[in-house]
Amino acid sequence: MKDINLRIKSIKSTKQITKAMELVATSKLTKAKDKIKRSRLYHLALQSAMCDILARDIETRSAYLETREIKKSCYIIIAGDRGLAGGYNSNVFKYALENISEKEITILPIGKRALDFCRRKDYEILSDDFVYVENIDIGNCHEIANLISECFLKKEFDEVFIVYTEFISALSQEPTIKKLLPLDRTICNEQIEEKKEYVLFEPNSNTVFHAIVPSFVAGMLWGAVNESLTSEFGARRTAMESATKNAEEMIDDLSLKYNRARQGSITQEITEIVAGSGL
Amino acid sequence: MSSFHLKIVSLDGLFFDGEARQVSLRSIDGEVSILAGHIPYVTAIGAGECRVYVEDSDQIRRAACIGGLLTVTKEQVLIAATTFEWAENIDYDRAKVAQTQAEDILSSDSASEHKKEVAKNKLIRANTRLKVVEKYKSR
Repeated sequence: MKDINLRIKSIKSTKQITKAMELVATSKLTKAKDKIKRSRLYHLALQSAMCDILARDIETRSAYLETREIKKSCYIIIAGDRGLAGGYNSNVFKYALENISEKEITILPIGKRALDFCRRKDYEILSDDFVYVENIDIGNCHEIANLISECFLKKEFDEVFIVYTEFISALSQEPTIKKLLPLDRTICNEQIEEKKEYVLFEPNSNTVFHAIVPSFVAGMLWGAVNESLTSEFGARRTAMESATKNAEEMIDDLSLKYNRARQGSITQEITEIVAGSGL
Repeated sequence: MSSFHLKIVSLDGLFFDGEARQVSLRSIDGEVSILAGHIPYVTAIGAGECRVYVEDSDQIRRAACIGGLLTVTKEQVLIAATTFEWAENIDYDRAKVAQTQAEDILSSDSASEHKKEVAKNKLIRANTRLKVVEKYKSR
């Protein structure tokens, strides 16, 4: 009986923790979602400007557009800092493993778990300055974007992918892979039609294009980081919700057992007294 | 005085959406000012102060504006900046700390080439912020 009581107590405190984590995840989820919404305008502005440049003059030559022979690829993998988020982390890694080519690769992990994953698999790590995904701010995204753009231009690698988790709904999150560099002319297929009015580019369209690519990449990264964070919190909330529910069930079950045992011992005592009194 | 519609966005969200008489900022090529009726125009933004002359008032709003894109179309002027902070929101002390940190890295011998590159960028950003705040306060 004492054992059962102890177990109930410990499960109750676990339940409190899972419940608290669920609430924290919920509030962080809303925040991350909000960030995605706020960054959308900027992203659209840059994208449409780039498309504009590409549509206007097909002549634009930029190293960012060149498809080179792939000798080495860079993958940016975004995962969580902590576990306890259902299959969130392992899904990303499984997906990454499926999609990473057998060729020479280098990885830029974002998130503590992603770093652990790379260490375990013994991948070459480009930089481990950006380990804590929850601390990544816009400035960091620009740093990363500048870093990979620079390395790309120096031909240290020939393509850049980003592996992150897309937030579809609170209940479903999908790991996704996106190509960051070289830029794909097809991103703006719809907008290429008839926009031929004269626009002045200063100093010229090539320079402008070149200058905004890192900003664009940073925008994509920021979007992906927040999308991943949202997914992580979503996954954690679901996981914690079911953990709380399980704890409740266990408590119910154990209380029943406890009450039965208590009833049993009382009955036994009465029986013994009655038997002892010799009536 | 004629005005135009100005919109300022960054990854942090929408900063300005309204009518303005003039907007001045530093592009990668130097200072530019946009007035109403400007021809369609696109340029990349450098690091410097951005001044927004709000319509129907003498108010000039100042901000630190670094990187990104300025687009002028017939309908509106759009600033999509990588960093945009109104002068009144800039954390002076933080910028000061960032400045000294960056300077330390730049003057040290042990830091790697890449770290120095990053520090150089940070220094430019910090200096821009400090300059904007100082100008804002002296007015």
